[in-house]
Amino acid sequence: MSSNLNLHWEDGTFMDALMLRFLQGYVRDTFGPAVWQAVCRHAELTVETFEPMLRYDPGMADKVAAHVAVVLGRSVDAIWEDMGTHLVTSPGHEGVRRLLRFGGIGFADFLHSLEEMPGRARLAMPDLDLPEVTLNERAQGEFELRCQSHLHGTLRVLSGLLTAMADDYGTLCLIENHGEDQISIRVLDSAHSEARPFDLALPQG
Amino acid sequence: MQQVVPQHPLTIDSAVLARFMPMHLLLDRDGRVISAGPTLQRVLQGQDLPGTPFEDLFEVRSPGGAVTVDDVLARAGHRFRLVARGGIKAGLRGLGQRLPDGLVLMNLSFGIDLIAAVRDLALTDADFAATDLAMELLYLAEANAAVTRELRGLNLRLEGARLAAEEEAMTDPLTGLRNRRAADLVLERLCTVKASFGLLHMDLDYFKAVNDTLGHAAGDFVLEKVGRILREELRADDVVARVGGDEFLVIVTGRVDAPVLQAVAERIIARINAPMQIDGTEARVSASIGIVRSHDMVGADPTRLLAVADRALYAAKDAGRGRAVLMVERFG
Repeated sequence: MSSNLNLHWEDGTFMDALMLRFLQGYVRDTFGPAVWQAVCRHAELTVETFEPMLRYDPGMADKVAAHVAVVLGRSVDAIWEDMGTHLVTSPGHEGVRRLLRFGGIGFADFLHSLEEMPGRARLAMPDLDLPEVTLNERAQGEFELRCQSHLHGTLRVLSGLLTAMADDYGTLCLIENHGEDQISIRVLDSAHSEARPFDLALPQG
Repeated sequence: MQQVVPQHPLTIDSAVLARFMPMHLLLDRDGRVISAGPTLQRVLQGQDLPGTPFEDLFEVRSPGGAVTVDDVLARAGHRFRLVARGGIKAGLRGLGQRLPDGLVLMNLSFGIDLIAAVRDLALTDADFAATDLAMELLYLAEANAAVTRELRGLNLRLEGARLAAEEEAMTDPLTGLRNRRAADLVLERLCTVKASFGLLHMDLDYFKAVNDTLGHAAGDFVLEKVGRILREELRADDVVARVGGDEFLVIVTGRVDAPVLQAVAERIIARINAPMQIDGTEARVSASIGIVRSHDMVGADPTRLLAVADRALYAAKDAGRGRAVLMVERFG
């Protein structure tokens, strides 16, 4: 493969591949294929499709997201957060929501399960390295989540994803980013609305 | 496994038992049900449990030949397998022990039928003990399916790209016809399977004059036009290739009738003979065609076929151009 594809088996990362693939899906679903093509042109990419099962240059996802921000005229943080929400709410990603919902019966359970996420991911794909997450329950309904990733976008995606998952569990909460590696979550009402249904068995068909 | 364990007589009420072992079965001395855990009750789907003998509820699959609780306890090593007689068809595996007071305690679980059981009984997280790895197994099955789906998608996309690249490598970019490589491969294949076909080797006449007087763009226009004529005059199953500057090969599959091949060639020549309009100027070319037939040759091979077709083509040119000549290789 030519090096300008930024495709590297040796030092490339799956994390970049996943984020790029989700970013591509989010932009195409939300703004249309033409906008994604404009992003690829703006970023001077030689390809228009990222493959989630390949690996890309470390940091490439952040670079492409910066081009998305320019093309859409929005902040890169807002784009990553929206993408995190899109991952949970879009019907095309029902699989992602389901895998997350296996984390626990309630939102608090789910938050705790995030610490197991890298282990769970490795169970499915041994060389998939999701960033380590640590969760501190500081008081009843007050959590502090730390996550270190080589990608700036990871924490923003996580906070968008948490917002959508809280909604999925019917929980009302306040989610705030602090700096580059910390998110605080305050649960205001754990039975705010009805949770979206979740059957352990995959719907047939 | 022989280990001396200090004895701690333990009393557990049924609520605790149900929480730790939601699929337990407690039997009296005679093997009749005293109680069953809540998840096992769902497996047995509302059968009247208290007092029912074990063997009425379950069929023992292993150890072979065992029917009653006593058989199971006496013959099972460290585990036994059961299937419920009523209720869902899931296989169950278990562990049993006669307690000091003579009662029998069994703990069952879904083996590999877990996923089907979860679907059939609409089980939830709450139906399993907190220590059970059922959730992890379900998670893993779905995560695995997702990874497989992605890999299959990747394979399809790569296969699409490979086919496109292959197609490109077999196509003449100017006319969209096949190229020399593609024609060679088809000839090779047809000769290997001893198929019947006609081979037309065509060369344009006066093409160099068009190129020299009207320029290369006009020359390209003529070639494209000839490509279109060939495509229109032949069937989809036939192979039409541009194999040189103004040189074409046509493989007419399944046809070896001399008058038919001659007629096809003459129709092509007639259409190419018609004047072509290029930006108000008129270009005139013609074509000569050499024809050979696979079955005129014993053990036809591409090299000999092409050689004879080439001679036929030159015979057509020598005979005054704008015509087609069918040649049969003579032996001896």
